[in-house]
Amino acid sequence: MSLIEIKDLKVHYPIRSGFWNRVTDSVKAVDGITFNIEAGETYGLVGESGSGKSTTGKSVVGLEKVTSGSILYNGKDITKKENRRKLDYNRDVQMIFQDSLSSLNPRKRIEDIIAEPLRNFEHLSKDDEKLRVLQLLNIVGLDADALYKYPHQFSGGQRQRIGVARAVATNPKLIIADEPVSALDLSVQAQVLNFMKKIQREFGISYLFISHDLGVVRHMCNNIAIMNRGRLVEIGTREDIYNHPLHIYTKRLLAAIPETNVNQRAAHRASRLAVEKIYEDQQSKYYDEDGMAYPLVQVSPTHSVALPEAIAKQLASQEGEVQA
Amino acid sequence: MAENFEQHSDISAADLARLNQEAQAEATPSTAKIIWNEFKADKPAMAALIIVVGFIVFVMIGALFINTPKMMETNIMDYFDKPFTAGFWLGADSGGRSVAKQLIVGSRNSIGIAIGLTVISSTFGIAWGLISGYFSGYIDWGMQRVYDFMMMLPMTMMIIVLVTIIPHYNSVSLTFIFSIFYWEGTSRLIRSRTLAETQKDYVAASKTSGTNHWKIIFKEIMPNISSLIIVDCTLSFAENIGVETGLSYLGFGLPNQTPSLGTMIANANDPSNITLYWWTWLPAALEIVVLCLSISYIGQVLRRAADASQRQGAAD
Ligand SMILES: Nc1ncnc2c1ncn2[C@@H]1O[C@H](COP(=O)(O)OP(=O)(O)OP(=O)(O)O)[C@@H](O)[C@H]1O
Ligand SMILES: [Mg+2]
Repeated sequence: MSLIEIKDLKVHYPIRSGFWNRVTDSVKAVDGITFNIEAGETYGLVGESGSGKSTTGKSVVGLEKVTSGSILYNGKDITKKENRRKLDYNRDVQMIFQDSLSSLNPRKRIEDIIAEPLRNFEHLSKDDEKLRVLQLLNIVGLDADALYKYPHQFSGGQRQRIGVARAVATNPKLIIADEPVSALDLSVQAQVLNFMKKIQREFGISYLFISHDLGVVRHMCNNIAIMNRGRLVEIGTREDIYNHPLHIYTKRLLAAIPETNVNQRAAHRASRLAVEKIYEDQQSKYYDEDGMAYPLVQVSPTHSVALPEAIAKQLASQEGEVQA
Repeated sequence: MAENFEQHSDISAADLARLNQEAQAEATPSTAKIIWNEFKADKPAMAALIIVVGFIVFVMIGALFINTPKMMETNIMDYFDKPFTAGFWLGADSGGRSVAKQLIVGSRNSIGIAIGLTVISSTFGIAWGLISGYFSGYIDWGMQRVYDFMMMLPMTMMIIVLVTIIPHYNSVSLTFIFSIFYWEGTSRLIRSRTLAETQKDYVAASKTSGTNHWKIIFKEIMPNISSLIIVDCTLSFAENIGVETGLSYLGFGLPNQTPSLGTMIANANDPSNITLYWWTWLPAALEIVVLCLSISYIGQVLRRAADASQRQGAAD
């Protein structure tokens, strides 16, 4: 059994308008997605801005009211509030937020911020609690003198470490990491990613790692789902996605990874333009009449793509993949 | 599970006291300290603070030594005594009653009502705004319709009607009547800030940390809008001094035998008092001007203290 099983999850936000303030339409932030997260793995969820990644992540920690579908944890559907409460669900599933500054209460000291989940879920004695907070700070590489400071006294990278410390405090089984490093510069990104990996090894945590950047995900994730306008367009292992991408949207995201080798800049640019041209020309092949992604079809035991069956098979054989 | 953390961190119970002490040395100053520094850096504000606090303490204590019924007895011999005559430091009014003593008791009454009104209406308005803004949806919708209804009522007229209907009212019941009509402004202000604040990720983080709604509202969100609350309370206090004064001036505030700043200013209703017997109303009028100006000056300093970028006081 997987740690988390997401089945046909939909989150629609109603749009109200008119004199009676009635629901006239809805934003389909998440529109029917299905995937599983295994214990101990890092699952990547990638897509451009506005594709519904954060909404998916928030649904999994129970912050979002889902429209339909289910999320199973230990066989219980945690989209229901009372199931979450019975399981003490958030003791096991925590979140690291996209914006580190806004995710830390500016009026609280670091000690109180990190101790918050401990106070609600573990009820330690005062000394034990303080000790645990100091240990957590130590694990994420911050000094003890951070204890009585306020969030604005730290740099972005340090704040994200504090966010990680809070998420790890109750020793959870799964952490939703919502673009944990996208606001940081490259060298700090690498540091934060490395200690997130270290923590994963030491505590046996799974991550749902959300990002818009396939370059970052490559170093973190074994399995990856590509999200586009609320739907998944491709699911596969790292190997499948990086070496045999099938959907044009995935190819675009891959082409958007910045090329660091100066000598290959020109070639990289040419290939990016080529992908962009195919994307412009072949929209109708990759999306249905409404411009939405097709349902997923399996092309290998690990690899699925959102295309009509025939096209998917054809593309897959071109890529030389083993057929399912 | 605790072993798990012991293993991966080189901090153990033995280090606790030492590390705690180190951290304490690095701690940031508290809000109260920051506000105090701000006052120290701004001399006029300090003067305003001393005037307001000193005056309130003076009238609260001074009024205890004055026998109000005896003071309010008419005494024809002292009819419109001039200021600085024997026993009448600020003169006497048409009833031969000491203006200075009336000013002390009257200020006590007026300021007492203003404080009571500010405490009750702000507490209620803040709670209303916070709850309405935090929960949104149906709760917010219902609470805002109540707000709309209250705003629709003609406030001054309602107060006058209530005061006329209720047979024996005193300063306490008057305070409660005022409070019914003075929480709305605060609640709207607080609600709009709460709406914005609730969207921030730290609220989401508190939810995933298992903190319940009430704690999130009053312990997480409220401290973040404390600057707004402090400023709003100070300004409504200044405004509330005017509320009782205005109504008493019109004759619908405190009963006649209870002196207040409003009843004293009402002496100016008589044209001859305005020019000939100026001492009957001028001290009370001046007092209100000075108090309100000082309080709004204090409000500005508090606002500055709350907003880090505008601070003038030294950092420590
Ligand atoms: N509370 C809300 N009400 C209405 N629409 C919303 C709400 N929250 C999100 N949306 C919409 O849902 C869509 C998905 O938003 P989401 O935040 O999940 O995107 P994202 O993939 O995380 O993007 P980013 O990379 O910019 O963080 C967007 O179009 C957004 O406008
Ligand atoms: Mg997002």
